[in-house]
Amino acid sequence: MFDKKSYTLYKFHKQLNQSFQNKRELLECALPALRNLFRLDRVYFFDWQQERALLSLKMMCKKEYCMDMQEDISVLNEPVFLKQLLQDGLAETTDLSYPAIYVLVRWERPSVELKAGEIHNFMQDKVGVLRLERFRKNRVFSNEEKELIKALGEEISHNLRNTEIDQAKNQRLNISTALNDLSTIFASSLRLNDGLELILKGVQRYFRFDRVRLYLTDAEGSKIKSVLGVDISGKVTQQDGKTLPQGEENLLKEVFDSAAAYRSTRSVIYIPLKVQRNKVGFLAFDNILSRRRIGYMDFISLQQFASQMALSIDNARLFERVQELSNYDELTKLPVRRYFNEKFAEEIYRSKRFDLTLSLIIMDIDWFKQINDGYGHQIGDWALKEVSRVIRTSLRQTDVPCRFGGDEMVIMLPRTNGEEAKIIAKRLKDRIGAITLPERYTEGKEVHLSISQGISSFPFDGTTPDVLLEKADKALYVVKQNGRGSFAVYREVAEQVA
Amino acid sequence: MILWAMPDSGDRTKEDYAALVELFKKENPSIDVSVRVFTRNVLWRRIFTIKHPTHEEEVPDLIQIPHYWTALLVREGVAENLSQLDPGLSLANCLVPLKPHCYQPGTKDIYSYPWWFDLSALHYRADHLKLVTAKPEHDLATWEGLLNVCQALREQFKDTPGYYPMQNSDWRGSLSMRNALPCIWGRGGDLLSADLGTTLVGTKAFKDGIRDYVNLALKNYMPILRERGSLGTVISGKASILISRKQGVSSLNAHRGIRLRTLPVPTTGTTYYSYLSGMNLFINKLSQEKKNALKFIKFCARPENQLRYAAMIDAFPAFEDAFEQFIFSSSQRLQTYSNILASARTLPNITITGTIMEILKRILAVCATQIVEERFTQASLDRELDLAAKEIEYLLSIYQG
Repeated sequence: MFDKKSYTLYKFHKQLNQSFQNKRELLECALPALRNLFRLDRVYFFDWQQERALLSLKMMCKKEYCMDMQEDISVLNEPVFLKQLLQDGLAETTDLSYPAIYVLVRWERPSVELKAGEIHNFMQDKVGVLRLERFRKNRVFSNEEKELIKALGEEISHNLRNTEIDQAKNQRLNISTALNDLSTIFASSLRLNDGLELILKGVQRYFRFDRVRLYLTDAEGSKIKSVLGVDISGKVTQQDGKTLPQGEENLLKEVFDSAAAYRSTRSVIYIPLKVQRNKVGFLAFDNILSRRRIGYMDFISLQQFASQMALSIDNARLFERVQELSNYDELTKLPVRRYFNEKFAEEIYRSKRFDLTLSLIIMDIDWFKQINDGYGHQIGDWALKEVSRVIRTSLRQTDVPCRFGGDEMVIMLPRTNGEEAKIIAKRLKDRIGAITLPERYTEGKEVHLSISQGISSFPFDGTTPDVLLEKADKALYVVKQNGRGSFAVYREVAEQVA
Repeated sequence: MILWAMPDSGDRTKEDYAALVELFKKENPSIDVSVRVFTRNVLWRRIFTIKHPTHEEEVPDLIQIPHYWTALLVREGVAENLSQLDPGLSLANCLVPLKPHCYQPGTKDIYSYPWWFDLSALHYRADHLKLVTAKPEHDLATWEGLLNVCQALREQFKDTPGYYPMQNSDWRGSLSMRNALPCIWGRGGDLLSADLGTTLVGTKAFKDGIRDYVNLALKNYMPILRERGSLGTVISGKASILISRKQGVSSLNAHRGIRLRTLPVPTTGTTYYSYLSGMNLFINKLSQEKKNALKFIKFCARPENQLRYAAMIDAFPAFEDAFEQFIFSSSQRLQTYSNILASARTLPNITITGTIMEILKRILAVCATQIVEERFTQASLDRELDLAAKEIEYLLSIYQG
């Protein structure tokens, strides 16, 4: 015997038997199917907000199409209606002048929350409500129809569950792929800043945040400062180095003591960057303009990503530190010759390109061999340290000093002509001349250090690094020939060299 | 070409747009136009994600927006510069109050084009009001007068089940910021200071204005969070007054011979204010069919189409020639709306206006729930508004500084 109910269910099942990207897509298929089956004028789908006892309208289907809709209906003062709906899964409204029934749809969706610092995956119960209306011909719903509608409601529930599980899986897969890509990009950037720019833009793009900002601790780990930000237009901006957002003085403690800190009704989230107990900094993600809430799913993905990012930043910082160490002489703390040569070549290029002046000083400590032989290498090293300390503290930020070898040191002075170089040389001569060797090593005698310096200038004395070094060295030779403890500019002593 | 529209005429929107698209297609048979209708909430979320679409998401070419979103879309970098796309594009014929909302603030570059606009007003059933007052124009001139009339109506219809003096015109059946604005302006309050540098949301005038509006629900003169169309509707005779936009009102007039009269929104102070809400169209920067989208925009701006669509959705044309033709075609319309238009105000076109409205909308949504649950207090509303003011100041410091 033909079973109409089973056949209708089968037909409905076949219509929904496909893969939907999301709940919306599923409803766009299910609601018109219901409308056609029962010759309805309109079908609505509501989300049930239990804590507010509110039916929140999401979608309406009319004729051949569906539309997003919005309407909140409080059922707080409707205990009978509500009781019937929750108990029987179906209730008839008496408020309207035409037949309309409500059908309960229950399903489970994958969800995530944080409990006592632990990520907790669970299936969350969701409830939705269908409203079916017939207002044109006022045809009431028969009992047989009501039974069938309830059965189809269960079919929709089943599909909603599957769709939401698929959606969650796809979402996680997409996010982990995206984060993996970003981590790979970041790990392969040895320059910290380049990597950070890429990563912030990538995170904003994948998660579609309004803004992303990065705060990092300083080298000592004592202060935290804003470093980089990506704004709503996707533009990367160097931040102002402010210590913390205004009015967020307690934020640091909250961020580092917990997994995250939320602000502005969950539209802002701060996630710490930590390597074990070492505080690297934190990331601030915000949807403060769009007011979109940042969900737990996003939070958990961001947290996983932040731990990788913290490690990468820590590694990149270590790499920069190692690089820094390899560029500097351990004894004098001055750059080494290799580093100097790179900078010197760059600066000569810039001076040629923009028609700038540049000078070079070569110096050595007078009677350094005698100091070493007479008082020991320890005192020789001490003298080198003292001289380089004076050099480091007497120059401008743009000047580049270097230990060229033994007691020989070179200083590059960008945008400086010969006359200006002489002023710097005089300053060095005076300050180094004021250094005396410790008396306990000199048997009570007052022994002062002195230096001899030769100066050459670009472009007058030469236009290549080698020629400038050679000319400065020749000027130094003349100073030594004339009794040491002084300085000379090549072009002023060129005749003596000849 | 894909057009994202808003529900201009509720659940009839698709049909209304379809009629317009059919005319467009007659002139441009090679251009297909698909219309998707989204509520303001959904559209608000989507405009923040259209810049980075995933491979499953469609890329709209043309998008309808509330007038005060233009600056935000320019800031976000999603709106195409229409002046660059067509240097001849002009706003010369556009109604004056709508012009500032089409430009990138501080420039003369057009980023969105006016589509239509509407004005908030008070509409009442003449047959009901004459039972409680001989001078409705006089009694409904002030907010206090409105509350008195509501009380009298409640008494008059106490035996009508499901009767409320006022119909709730909010789409969600909740408390709406749009309807609260004239009350706030009447009290001398506003969202922002005149120089747009600071917020006035935490001021007494603003709080008083919100309270005036919330009183309608608190005193049970207007239903909230109830099934739409179930009770308290003018059409069913279970309501007598409606403060809303013009939209839908003439369809009520036509229904069962009900005669609705229109007045300005009663003032909460000494001056009348009406909220002018405009709708604009902008072209998505990612669109592959910018020229077609521009063709559609220009088609919509033509006087005959302005008049046609305004009549369909019961709103006003946005351009002078069509507007004049529309308003002068009926002396009653001219008389009613010329005063209301003169007192109309818009929201400022700055990056954060939409966000401010979102913040306030959420506060009113909470308020509505508290009223239904009978746990609303004025102090809690004031506290929420103070917190909102701080949040808005922070937003101003980021986006307007």
